[in-house]
Amino acid sequence: MKVFVIDLARCNGCYACQFVCKDEHVGNDWTPYAKPQPDTGQFWLKMQEEVRGTVPKVKVDYRPYLCMHCENAPCIEYCPIEGAIYRRDDGLVIIDPEKCTGCRECVDRCPYRAIYFNENLYIAQKCTGCAHLLDDGWEVPRCVDACPTEAIKFGEESEFADEIARAEVVHPEGGYKPRVYYLNRMKRFVAGTVYDPVEKEVIIGATCTLAGNGKTATATTDEFGDFWFKDLEETGTYNLTIESDGKKKVFENIDTEKDVNLGDIPLT
Amino acid sequence: MMLEEKNRGGNKPTAARPDTAGDKTVIRSLALGGLLGGGGECAVDVKDGKILRVRPFHYDWKYDREALNPWKIERNGATLQPLFKALPSPFSLAYKKRTYSPNRIKYPLRRVDWDPEGERNPQNRGKSKYVRISWDEATDLIASEIKRVHQKYGPLAILTQGDGHGECKTIHTPHGHQARLLDMMGGFTQQVRNPDSWEGWYWGSKHVWGQGSQGMMRPADNVLKDISEHSDAVLFWGCDPETTVWGFTGQYASRICYFWRDAGIKQIYVCPEVNYGAAVHADKWIPVLPNTDAALQLAIIYIWLKEGLYDKDYVATHTVGLEKLAAYVMGEEDNIPKTPEWASEKCGVPPWTIKAFARYLAEKTFSIAHYFGGSFIRGPYSHEAGRLECVLLAMQGLGGPGVHQWQISYIGMPRAKGVQDTRFFNTALSERLRVPCDSTIFGWGKQLIPKTLIQDAILNPPIVFWGDGGIESPPEDQFVKYTYPIEKEKGGTEIHMIWTDTPCRITCWNYGNKTVEAFRHPSIECVVAQHPWLENDCLLADIILPVNTNMEVDDIVTNTRQGVHFQSVTLLNQAIKPVGESKSDYEAVLEVAKKLGKEKEFSEEKSIEDLQKEVFDSMALGNFISWEDFKEKQYYAFPTAEDWEEDTPGLRKFYEDPENNPLPTPTGKLEIYSERLAKHFPDDHERPPIPKWVEKGITHDERLSSDRAAMFPLLLMSNHGRWRVHSQADDISWTRETPTCKVTGPDGYKYEPVWINPQEAEKRGIKDGEIVKIVNERGIVLCGARVWERVMPGVAYVDHGARYDPIAKDVCRGGAINTISPLGVSSKNAAGQATSGYLVDVQKIEPKEWARWREENPAAFERKYCPDAGLHFNGWVEGGNE
Repeated sequence: MKVFVIDLARCNGCYACQFVCKDEHVGNDWTPYAKPQPDTGQFWLKMQEEVRGTVPKVKVDYRPYLCMHCENAPCIEYCPIEGAIYRRDDGLVIIDPEKCTGCRECVDRCPYRAIYFNENLYIAQKCTGCAHLLDDGWEVPRCVDACPTEAIKFGEESEFADEIARAEVVHPEGGYKPRVYYLNRMKRFVAGTVYDPVEKEVIIGATCTLAGNGKTATATTDEFGDFWFKDLEETGTYNLTIESDGKKKVFENIDTEKDVNLGDIPLT
Repeated sequence: MMLEEKNRGGNKPTAARPDTAGDKTVIRSLALGGLLGGGGECAVDVKDGKILRVRPFHYDWKYDREALNPWKIERNGATLQPLFKALPSPFSLAYKKRTYSPNRIKYPLRRVDWDPEGERNPQNRGKSKYVRISWDEATDLIASEIKRVHQKYGPLAILTQGDGHGECKTIHTPHGHQARLLDMMGGFTQQVRNPDSWEGWYWGSKHVWGQGSQGMMRPADNVLKDISEHSDAVLFWGCDPETTVWGFTGQYASRICYFWRDAGIKQIYVCPEVNYGAAVHADKWIPVLPNTDAALQLAIIYIWLKEGLYDKDYVATHTVGLEKLAAYVMGEEDNIPKTPEWASEKCGVPPWTIKAFARYLAEKTFSIAHYFGGSFIRGPYSHEAGRLECVLLAMQGLGGPGVHQWQISYIGMPRAKGVQDTRFFNTALSERLRVPCDSTIFGWGKQLIPKTLIQDAILNPPIVFWGDGGIESPPEDQFVKYTYPIEKEKGGTEIHMIWTDTPCRITCWNYGNKTVEAFRHPSIECVVAQHPWLENDCLLADIILPVNTNMEVDDIVTNTRQGVHFQSVTLLNQAIKPVGESKSDYEAVLEVAKKLGKEKEFSEEKSIEDLQKEVFDSMALGNFISWEDFKEKQYYAFPTAEDWEEDTPGLRKFYEDPENNPLPTPTGKLEIYSERLAKHFPDDHERPPIPKWVEKGITHDERLSSDRAAMFPLLLMSNHGRWRVHSQADDISWTRETPTCKVTGPDGYKYEPVWINPQEAEKRGIKDGEIVKIVNERGIVLCGARVWERVMPGVAYVDHGARYDPIAKDVCRGGAINTISPLGVSSKNAAGQATSGYLVDVQKIEPKEWARWREENPAAFERKYCPDAGLHFNGWVEGGNE
């Protein structure tokens, strides 16, 4: 069974995957696998991006996002037309463009919002895993071939056992058993810079203790006076204590609904 | 259960499988650096005369992997190796959209109110529309204008603009064919293509370490290996390895950065914005206000001097003049010590961070990475930051293990076997093929005008300047005084005709609105443009020739510049027939040559295949493969040289023995103090003999301390576009959907983004996605607000190169930010452009302003426009809207 394994820590956000998906499917008719994707506005593979943090602790979080080719695919379950949406022997889920009647049931039922409705052709459409190419001798879909950092990989589930063991899926709670696995998702961070306002010097080696969600983590400020707590939960409140040379500062109730940059912190 | 029943699998399509391969596969180099090199290698599948797909080229298509002898670099358990596929930039992979762009020029055009027999209406350039004419009519018109101008004023009255970047072709190279033709007819006036992304190194660093490579550190062989093995940190100082690199070879720099991360090499970004490299690679981001890097550099030197944190032995044996700089830095010269507190006021970096940064750099082994640049190196007085960068490296032992300036992946990669020249203008090629490109590399015309001074030359002749500004001109040339026009006895004359194949001045160079004014000057009697797309300076032309794209020609390209995984020479077999009536740049000039009786001389009666073979022979490929086999395979990929690891890295020889390996400077040392500058320009306070902070001068008043900042309180910075190469590729509907390429306004128009920090937006009541105006005394540019934390407060960030769309006098709706950049050059005696780091404000647009613009120029709002791809050919053609 085929899977996609996407290492988010190696995605540079270049959008090559999104563009080559269009290069393959816009203006090219691959019936019976797929009819053309609209030129704009729809993305069988969509690069998502989010700016995280505030100046000067800022990261950009990219995520290539596509049909999850679920083992328990609601689109198949709820499609009223026999065989219009089907799962191939290799696990790829396909909407047959000639059998689709345009009822939109799958568009509404897809928990991943990965199915688009093509108003001109009056059919539902989505990623096919470039099944037309795989059946013609290609080893990987276009997005994988074009990925410059090998962040997006595609292959037999068995070949990726190690990666899958430490990967996450989107909406695991739904039980859809998606076949797109993500590695190294960026979690919440709390960061800042500690300095001495009298000497106008950063404080190196200050001990920072972050407590919350039943856990305690410590970090030491680096050569720039910076501390970073990464891999925090998205929900929770934390207390941060910064200590150096008998000086102490406490931040209470830090909410990690968003990433938190505490800025340049004077320690007196 | 229903699900199981439907999920039974094996439900293969019943109909026949489609033909996915197409009729043929050809190779293309779809990077956009152009000149005489390639990159961005792609395989293009073609079906029924249409482009089916564009995909990364695989080097092992017709060669064994072992034959390519892949190299390997290791550190701390991490490994970097080349892949067996090319990594073209995203816009290269989307290139089919450029070939089939709605903005393509489909047939020759004449400006509707330009009549060579009567009224020429120069004042209407950029306003009037065009009518269709035939190739025969167009070339008759051009030939008769050339003859008329030659007779009336002399050959040098024709200005050629035939330089810069473009598609990767050789025979049909996009620039300079007109200069080659006019050279056969008595000469021409040349627009000399100045550096446009490395001004500070060209006009500054050359005076410290000599010619270098366009002013940057050279030799730079084997630097990737040396940095990877010895550096603790790499500074990306105004460098974006995820953007600028894309235009030239593709995405290899990205892989180097990931390798360095795995190897534990710290990556520090110093720039006003979270550029695309910083977004994913930065271990530390130090935001610095645009064009204030010199203040930060001086404060670092202050700490090093004060605390003795530099290599004193090296300074004693390898440099001259540190004591003079030290006197300035410590305040002995002007009573102003260049302390971190002093610098912080100017550059916006907290004093404690400056001190920590200075000590970190002194303690660690670091290199500085660039790939040309944006804000750091293209602003007013950029030569000061350029020189100070050399000083920083000099004080820490430049040339020693892990201490380099490096153009990441552009140079310093493992050496290939059999490649004679890895430079962008490939001197291995025959003179016949190199001559057109000379207009980009050298000042070779009989009469010269630096590209930055064109407006002045037209509006205020005569002009004088120091140095021709040619990319390969030596530093000594910067002490030579030039005038335009040259003496009458030598054929000197003001220009009266312009022939451009480089129609991007408005959006890529200094003060575009002044370019428009200059092109409308009555002394300019005829403007000819040739280009594939109806954009920018084309709209100022009187006659326009339609040119085809890379996909439409038979050619050959030498992918020998570094930054590709394996260098190669590829045959470019025509992918599709030319769109409309388009011809290649070479063929277009050949059509004119025919009308001037110069056909044989111009073509040398060589066919395209003759010229392809000429490239094959001059590259000495016969040593590796027969011509027949090459034609069959369509490419030859060079293997890595067996002994590449033995190549001396960077300036190591100078580092080890400066007396026997001197630099090409008068003293043979790193000249922190330049006796030459002191001697030739004793009164130049903008580029003094030692590098300094220049608050303002006779050329520029663009600092936050200026009185002008009361009205224009933000520093505008401009980089190379993420989704363009300068002005190229602004029309790809797929890239234009990304949030960093365009912002769709409520009116459906896709605006160029301006990044501003939420603090600045809030002060002005501006919301993300809103249409706003960027203003200063030089005009107004409309943009779409991108309000986010990817840029520090105090800054407005707009990439240059968006297409010009004038809607009123000095008002551009297309986001061509350089229309309002300073006219002034780098400094008084240095004619580089200064198009980043200048004062503007970002403001909301009042409804009455829209009303006034609509009233002033209703046609501008009625022009055909497609939101997906933007400007449309028909919008400027008479009857095109019907």
